[in-house]
Amino acid sequence: MKNIVIGQFVPGSGFFYKLDPRTKIMAIIVLMVSLFLLKTMTQLLVALAIAVILLLIGKLSIVRIVKGLKPIFVLLIFTFFFQIFFNKTGALWLDQTMSLNWLSAGAIVLATVLWRVLARWKVGGILPFLIYLGLLYVSLSYLSYGSTWTSFQFQIYEKGVEMSVFVVIRLLIIITLSTVLTLTTKPTDLTMGMEKLLRPLKFIGINSEEFALIISISLRYIPTILDEANKIMLAQASRGADFSQGKLKEKVKQVISLLVPMFIIAFKRSEELADAMESRNFVPGKPRSRIYDLVFGMNDIVAFVISAGLLAAAITIQVI
Amino acid sequence: MSKLEINDLSFTYTGKRMILKNIQLQIQKGEWVAILGHNGSGKSTLAKCIVGLLEPQSGSVVVDDMVLSHKTAYEIRKKIGIVFQNPDNQFVGVTVRDDIAFGMENLGIPKDQMISSIDFYAEKVGVKEMLDKEPSTLSGGQKQRVAIAGILAMHTDVMVFDEATSMLDPYARNELMQYIQELHQEGMTILMITHDIEEALYADRIVVLKGGEVHLDASKEEALRQTERMTEAGLELPVSLRILNGVTNLDPSWKEYLWASTFDK
Ligand SMILES: Nc1ncnc2c1ncn2[C@@H]1O[C@H](COP(=O)(O)OP(=O)(O)OP(=O)(O)O)[C@@H](O)[C@H]1O
Ligand SMILES: [Mg+2]
Repeated sequence: MKNIVIGQFVPGSGFFYKLDPRTKIMAIIVLMVSLFLLKTMTQLLVALAIAVILLLIGKLSIVRIVKGLKPIFVLLIFTFFFQIFFNKTGALWLDQTMSLNWLSAGAIVLATVLWRVLARWKVGGILPFLIYLGLLYVSLSYLSYGSTWTSFQFQIYEKGVEMSVFVVIRLLIIITLSTVLTLTTKPTDLTMGMEKLLRPLKFIGINSEEFALIISISLRYIPTILDEANKIMLAQASRGADFSQGKLKEKVKQVISLLVPMFIIAFKRSEELADAMESRNFVPGKPRSRIYDLVFGMNDIVAFVISAGLLAAAITIQVI
Repeated sequence: MSKLEINDLSFTYTGKRMILKNIQLQIQKGEWVAILGHNGSGKSTLAKCIVGLLEPQSGSVVVDDMVLSHKTAYEIRKKIGIVFQNPDNQFVGVTVRDDIAFGMENLGIPKDQMISSIDFYAEKVGVKEMLDKEPSTLSGGQKQRVAIAGILAMHTDVMVFDEATSMLDPYARNELMQYIQELHQEGMTILMITHDIEEALYADRIVVLKGGEVHLDASKEEALRQTERMTEAGLELPVSLRILNGVTNLDPSWKEYLWASTFDK
């Protein structure tokens, strides 16, 4: 529970820290649109290079960003294989007959056990996983003994590989951009920025100030609620529950026994919080003064020019 | 000059069981009143009625000749602030600074004034170094002090504490009581809800609630001599006081002396 780092502000003083949150939010939207305009691998690699240059200019540690990517590693792998399996255009690069039989099934089971045992010994991560995938490939392709239960063709096409690399790089850039935003912007500034940007929504009856307040209260309570979940889990573990083991049915039971008290506590909490807010004269919809003010500076103009320039470049490339 | 009057106030949540029955209280400016009572005696309900979070079925709350109603609640909450029991459930801001600002923002106080108020009151309750900290990094006592600063910044002159120290460790509890004593010395009217008699010893006056009724309302010295009345309300006096109350054949001047030294808070 403790290693959730997505969206964590880290104090610092680079270029991105000096930008107004509104600028950052707008720039990210502009850059994402530009990114989706790109069509070829070369263009995307240029974009990746620009992203890295931006990180360097902002004096952001690339190691830190890469570390921040860890939680979405599974998503990246999934995206990668999804493209490889389902995109069947272009030249056929690999056509491998795979079969499931006593030997290959046994090897797969063995490999899986090995991989999980290693993971339990904290030898997790990318390398063991890739080796595991390699073992799966070898077992299915080359091991055969006795009768074949079922067999299928494993095919990789040129375009499939190209697309999967393309999509994964694009996803990486998008996540890097949003990590830059959350890494360099205080939650208060972020919500303040959103509040101001969403102000025009008043015309369709959405009060951006209340919306921002809801978001900032949610942000404020995330650590408290995680803490609480931890405490409840500890309490239940002390009564013999084991969240890491057990059959599916047991697990479902345990999750329910975690969720029910959490909901009850959350309801009580929200009621008390509402009382506390009201007693401090909070009246929904009533105009409030704000302790934070946002002002655009010289840096913001620079950022605007850069992101607008990149968008213009992306559009131009597509038109030509 | 805030005078708080509770006139013949009755309240029920369900319409069936009366939680507060004809409560009659007059609290003078600058007084420190402890409201004592067993669990479920209606203390929190009374506190919520006083700050207008609950609307009584009959009777009224009057602050400085202003009768509490939907129309006046906003004005009255500028005068009366409340600190609740759970430090975590009243911290609205993402940081300490935000949280102290929250009430002032609601009152529409200009930014510059807010900044200087925040500095002043954060200093006063000893959280000046923590202005940029997030609530999850603060202790319970620190959170309660932030809540106090946020209320002080609204310039209230009555403060209600609903078991505000009960979730704190003894050290943080003492520390908080020191701050409250300071506020009292500066003229703040204090209404301290508690079921801890030790805490009530700080007060000038003790009001005991039992089953939603005022069971006892007297000066601290008066109230603490009434061992029986206290026991009836499910409250147990500290051992020293019980012994003193029980001793009958002691020279009155000696007894006075011992009493006085017990109250020497
Ligand atoms: N929201 C509610 N709806 C219905 N009944 C309630 C509600 N809140 C409290 N009560 C009931 O009102 C009675 C008085 O509750 P109250 O919280 O005022 O007591 P208290 O003196 O503050 O107790 P404690 O020492 O436990 O804080 C209790 O019997 C309680 O069950
Ligand atoms: Mg209570």
